[in-house]
Amino acid sequence: MYYIHAISSISHQQTFDLEFIHNDLQKLTPESPLLVPEFIDILPPTALRRLSAILKISLTTALKCLNESAFDGIVVGTGLGCLQDTEKFLVTINNTTSDVLSPTAFIQSTHNTIGGQISLFLKNHAYNMTHTQNALSFEISLLDGITLLNEGKNNILVGAADEKIPFLELLNEDLIKTDYPFTSIATFFNLKKEKSDRNVLVKDVLVLANSKKDINEVILRFLEKNQCDPTNLTKVYHSDLEISLSTEKVNYLDFTGYNYAASALAFHIGVSELSEIPGTILIVNSLVKKDLGLILIERC
Amino acid sequence: MQIFITGYGVISSIGLNVEENYNSLKNSKSGIKLTESTVFKNYKVANIQYSNEELATMFKLQTKGSRTAILGMIAAKEAFKDHELSSEIRTGLISGTSVGGMDLTENLYKDYLKGNLRADEYKHHPSGVSTIEIAKELGLEDCFLNTISTACSSAANAIMQGARLIKNNVLDRVIVGGTDALTEFTFNGFRSLMIFDEEWCRPFDNTRNGLNLGEGAGYIVLESEKSLKLSKSKAIGVLSGWNSSSDAYHQTASSPEGYGAILSMTGAIEMSGLGINEINYVNAHGTSTPNNDLSESHALKTVFENDVPPFSSTKSYTGHTLAASGGIEAVFALLAINNGVLYPNLNFSEVITETQLTPQLLFEENKIIKHVLSNSFGFGGNNSSILISGLN
Repeated sequence: MYYIHAISSISHQQTFDLEFIHNDLQKLTPESPLLVPEFIDILPPTALRRLSAILKISLTTALKCLNESAFDGIVVGTGLGCLQDTEKFLVTINNTTSDVLSPTAFIQSTHNTIGGQISLFLKNHAYNMTHTQNALSFEISLLDGITLLNEGKNNILVGAADEKIPFLELLNEDLIKTDYPFTSIATFFNLKKEKSDRNVLVKDVLVLANSKKDINEVILRFLEKNQCDPTNLTKVYHSDLEISLSTEKVNYLDFTGYNYAASALAFHIGVSELSEIPGTILIVNSLVKKDLGLILIERC
Repeated sequence: MQIFITGYGVISSIGLNVEENYNSLKNSKSGIKLTESTVFKNYKVANIQYSNEELATMFKLQTKGSRTAILGMIAAKEAFKDHELSSEIRTGLISGTSVGGMDLTENLYKDYLKGNLRADEYKHHPSGVSTIEIAKELGLEDCFLNTISTACSSAANAIMQGARLIKNNVLDRVIVGGTDALTEFTFNGFRSLMIFDEEWCRPFDNTRNGLNLGEGAGYIVLESEKSLKLSKSKAIGVLSGWNSSSDAYHQTASSPEGYGAILSMTGAIEMSGLGINEINYVNAHGTSTPNNDLSESHALKTVFENDVPPFSSTKSYTGHTLAASGGIEAVFALLAINNGVLYPNLNFSEVITETQLTPQLLFEENKIIKHVLSNSFGFGGNNSSILISGLN
């Protein structure tokens, strides 16, 4: 069994440092700001000065998932990586005529800076992985976490993060085409074999890319494989899809906004809900068409 | 459970396929050179001398994509050429890349900064998209796809994740490796770090002064025993061990004693059940930076208890191909095993004062090479080692 222990998110909702996050969700507008804690209380001054938004929110939420023993694995999913520093370095190389360039933005532009900063901060020498498969990066990271538990590891940190930069908004209509506001999200949690107080577990995760299959058929087969009668599902969270199940359905993009880590925040919302009331929740992510991620979480 | 290797493909500055790469390795022919391109100033690079359009025509590619994707398509297709897709064999693709479609994005940004945005071109930017483009070219649908981005250890980690997903019964067969195109972004990034050598790189040499950047792609095909029975593929090796550990020392530098490297090498060897004296060759990370080669030398001496087997860095041929290096070097490891050869470490003349290690200096044939350890260490402290063995 794969149990969820501590979990933490920073987003445009009130999610940080709350035991339950599912009760007060607001439908986001383009004006909804990223709600960040006082980083100065959590991160050292050097990190505050140097780190971009995605690194700060990732490190802060990851640190909320610490327990008494060192992590046996750190797994990070990010669809677009450290966009702010990537753009900063792109601008620098275009605008600088000098032969001397500052390397900071380049160093912090690589996708694995998120996981690297966490391991550096914790002085953790364990497995450290960065998956980047567009909007499926979280599901793949969760699958990696489960695989690590199957391999005999125990204390795993899994998370996903993606940040908004103004450039993304310029692509809307032409390339991305979304009605949801662009957002920044970081969600991290601790996955273990031992039961947690909240008693919520990950039953299964499925990743299907470049797919022409009918989503509803894939869902039915996935539920069948997990011996889950669709009538027993408490709720389905989905990325604005036509889901044929008769269960209560919630479009999570209303609360997460458009973000490649949106399903990670939906996962946190589901975990929060099950921590309060037992049930089974399915998260259906097809934010990028032709890609499908399914996560089944449960509390008996 | 054994993980069989049943195919390999590579493209780099020393050749457009496995055979051409092998001939260059055999003839000590490096791909590192001064180019006429103004982008790379006066630095030597190991680029592939064909444009995207030329490559697409030469290799009859059906799918459009960034240079990273194009190089990936070419090498992945070669790796998968004797294979067929089958509904009975769950086949996936895991590709490592550090830049994804950056070659297109950086041009897009040049125009954007002048006020002209070509939004559509950005669709190739995400690293995950380069993997989807490779999958399309291979005809892979409804499957597990993933991209790993752990800088210079990306391909090694992709190989490792493929093996783990087979072991965990998520996949039966998987194409694994990595691809990275040479871009202005990475060129200027490494230049800002001041780790280029203006001369030909000299891995493990006392006078080494930095790396030369390269580009390319390398993939291998992994299969479970069940898959092998169905596909009837011919195994050319097995993946006998792997490990990924974190150095947790510095965002860009390796720890002086090579702690992360010691963990990854030891972990891979322990997993295989082999003794350290059974490793016949180490294809080192060997970037030729003062920091990496000293740290890796210390780690090699620690892991092999001062009795280091023949080792060399083939980056003296291909340059540092970043996320692709672990894939390209996995192909080189298979070639060493199946041809019974050792590759020289080019441009070496003087041992590092502190460690006194001499790498393999000649191309040697008629050797018995059963087990090759391949190192890939990345930026951010991601240290990975894989162990490739011949068939028993």
